Amino acid sequence: MLRLRMAPLRSAALLAVAFVALRVVYRVVFGGASGGGAVLLDLPRIPLGGPFAHIALLGPVSTGGLWNAAQSALPFSAVILAFGVLNAVVDVRRFFARGAARGPLRALSRSLVIAWATFPALIASVRRVHTASALRGERSIPALLVPVFEQTVERALCLAASMESRGFAAARTAPGVCQRPVVMTDAALGFAGGGWQLEGLTLSLAPGTLTVITGSTGSGKTSLLHSMSGLFQHFHDGGQHGVIEVGGLDRAATPPRETAGFVGLVSQNVRLSFVAETVRDEIGFALTVRGVAAVIVEQRVHEVAAQLQIEHLQGRTVEALSAGEASLVAIGAALISQPILLLVDEPLADLDAPARGRVVRVLDRLAHEAQVCVVVAEHNTREWESAADAWLEIRGTDVRTLGPGERPSALIAAERAARTTARPATPAGPAGPLAGIRHLTVLHGTELAVDDVSFELAAGDRVALEGRNGAGKSSLLRAIALPSARGSVLVAGQDVSLLRAGARRAFVALVPENFDDLLFAVTVAEECSRADRQLKPGNGPGTAARFADLLGLGAGIGAGANAGAAHLMQQHPRDLSAGERLCLVMAIQLAAGPRVLLVDEPTRGLDPRARELVGSALVRASSDASAVLFATHDRDFARSLATKTLVMAAGRLTTEPALVRP
Amino acid sequence: MRARWTSWLLAGGSLLAAAGFAWPFFASALPEDARAAAPIVAFALVPALIVALALTLDREMYTAKTVALLGVLSAVGAAVRIAGTGVGGVEAVFILLILAGRAYGARFGFLLGLLTIAVSSALWGGFGPWTPFQMFACGWVGAGAALLPRIRTPRIGTPRNGTARLEIAMLVAYGIASSYLFGLVMNLWFWPFAVGSGTDISYAADAPLGENLASFALYTLVTSTLTWDTVRAITTTIGIVLVGPAALAALRRAKLGKPGRPGRLVTPRSTSLPGGGTRTHPSTAPGAAAAPPTAPRPSARA
Repeated sequence: MLRLRMAPLRSAALLAVAFVALRVVYRVVFGGASGGGAVLLDLPRIPLGGPFAHIALLGPVSTGGLWNAAQSALPFSAVILAFGVLNAVVDVRRFFARGAARGPLRALSRSLVIAWATFPALIASVRRVHTASALRGERSIPALLVPVFEQTVERALCLAASMESRGFAAARTAPGVCQRPVVMTDAALGFAGGGWQLEGLTLSLAPGTLTVITGSTGSGKTSLLHSMSGLFQHFHDGGQHGVIEVGGLDRAATPPRETAGFVGLVSQNVRLSFVAETVRDEIGFALTVRGVAAVIVEQRVHEVAAQLQIEHLQGRTVEALSAGEASLVAIGAALISQPILLLVDEPLADLDAPARGRVVRVLDRLAHEAQVCVVVAEHNTREWESAADAWLEIRGTDVRTLGPGERPSALIAAERAARTTARPATPAGPAGPLAGIRHLTVLHGTELAVDDVSFELAAGDRVALEGRNGAGKSSLLRAIALPSARGSVLVAGQDVSLLRAGARRAFVALVPENFDDLLFAVTVAEECSRADRQLKPGNGPGTAARFADLLGLGAGIGAGANAGAAHLMQQHPRDLSAGERLCLVMAIQLAAGPRVLLVDEPTRGLDPRARELVGSALVRASSDASAVLFATHDRDFARSLATKTLVMAAGRLTTEPALVRP
Repeated sequence: MRARWTSWLLAGGSLLAAAGFAWPFFASALPEDARAAAPIVAFALVPALIVALALTLDREMYTAKTVALLGVLSAVGAAVRIAGTGVGGVEAVFILLILAGRAYGARFGFLLGLLTIAVSSALWGGFGPWTPFQMFACGWVGAGAALLPRIRTPRIGTPRNGTARLEIAMLVAYGIASSYLFGLVMNLWFWPFAVGSGTDISYAADAPLGENLASFALYTLVTSTLTWDTVRAITTTIGIVLVGPAALAALRRAKLGKPGRPGRLVTPRSTSLPGGGTRTHPSTAPGAAAAPPTAPRPSARA
């Protein structure tokens, strides 16, 4: 509760002095500084007229008058100083941290705790968007503010969903029946105005099984998963028809917060769903909001951490976690109340191969040893083959249940695709070097993220940059797009570090991993015309046409020739699917006609069909932008597209550019 | 029923607080012995009203979405406010208050104003007798934006037309008005302290109302109307014009459901979105509109 900060005291002292000075000024200006003592300045009195007849400006100034004015201000200055001392000593934040757990101001106190926890994220977000607007060559205020704002609102929603699913603000806790985790009887799901998205859902999931929901992006995997968590019906305003029972309770009548005691949820964006500042508080959150005694919470957190083998993380702040660790902490936070049903939304999207394996093993053990009913929504089907007991495959509006022995068509298709596309891509023609990277080094603090990297790109190249999470791929791409050291990046004979942001984009452009940061208009059409404004006249087709071309819709989108494409143009950019958004950002970045296009993790979170779309967009882009360099940890994707492969580990290239390995 | 009670409480509380702001004008109506007590009563009344209204609204706001949005947006507001102190009082926080109040309603706007001041004061260490007054004034700015007349928003799919621009124009006008009014009410309660006694524009408890009004008008004109308030009005205008449409869209995409409402059992089957808003959901799905049309279902169980 108590601590000492000097800053409030200093500002209070300044304020007190300013207050005294202001009073003296008012007296001098409004004719009150006379009276007693020696006359310092004999200014004339200027009476005002009209309604201000009783007021006169200026007048003689005397020492006595000034002293009187200063003295009269002292009591209030003392009050200001007293509050300064209070502010310096009392830590108000601690009061609210306590008030958030219980008491009549729970909601507002929790809001305040969230506000303070948001500051680091806010600063990080501003930094990210600052980079993004440099990449897009935009320097307008909306380009900076709108994405920060969008991210903030998105964070709020993720936080809210995670709080709701962990029992925040629950009026009661509903008891669940262990034997029947999920039973659906002729259920249908859909959003208002969109018709039914999924129909004829009749299924029953048993304890001790692991079920994987598969389907392409946008098919409704997440909706199906959240129809079990209740977020679909109660948080996203989805409509439900038929009966969905979770733990024997009617899901449509029971909000998620009341079933937090037996339903655990791990959301798609684990980092955005963290409510607390430390790992320990994060894992224990569900028990804390239920008012469980601190000693018991600590005991349970310890048990869960031991179960997941993450004891060493307990004291860390949530920001200091790697992607894999963050997933495990989120799983721990869902396990704290010993759920009967554990729902996991795309846990593998952000992880590299070792972390993926670990998460799959953990969920496998939970289902088959701890007898939890685990449901996973995922399009990375291959990793789950050994662990899954059943598959729910979404096709159109149908959901097919595949038992043991049966395999989802996505898995078969992915294997076929991997076989057929594992051919060496079109060989690059004999071309001279287009771009040269010379001794590029990036320091993050004292850590060497990129260590003296040099390589060359030729025209027509499609180069894949492979490597594990944290190998330095993103840092390298960023440093190529926004070089700081002279002579480190040469494109078409031009030293890129010497160019201004706008001119740089004609040589090298980057589509970053968080490509949404580059979007800030309200409709796709507006986004395209904004990009066109930077386009030099006569520099190929407009951005809208290029976007349509990347999507494989053909030209003529702007003219409204294609009804589907015209509809796309009027949508909010963030309502597009992930694959379409990525293509939009690529079209925007290609507007300035860069010689080298850099793309960071183009396949993250994409299903096979969207991957194909992005893959062919990359092929189309490489003819536009002379050379494409893309970072990925998706080996199949890299192999099917790249003409060359670079492998990165611990900030260094481990092999020289070579032809694709078989 | 409860909602109506809360509305009355809010209106009554705001009215009382307004009286607290305007204490210099009320004091002259009091008997002479009681005049000295007027400022003290006002200083006790306004914080007490803040607490009372916070307690009233707290239970109503106790849903995960509201709490999370309030927290995150007040952090943004506080950041904007603290960043603004360095650049000559260019206060941009009104932009956020007005847009959020407009998108999420009067109660949310009021609480956002209140919390923004609380967060920034706690970070900067600036709690003082002025804090409750700032909270009310900022809360009113946010709530007022929601109380402006509704403008029908265009349907999804149709090109953005004049109605969106009309709404922005209305918010800009409101932003300018509220910038000046904010300065006015903040000057009103502080005027007797700022000037002290002994000047020609001093507050005089025994002077006629007209004379006090004239003194106050001159005080507020030279203190803030011509300087801070004008800067604030300009900042707010520029801000709302530049980021308003996109920020409003972002806020409205994250619809704030009615708190405490049970899940919908009856499935909506109309072809337009209620209120013309945009649906949001967490998946990467392009939206239900992309789902293939389905055959009509037997309506017996709808």
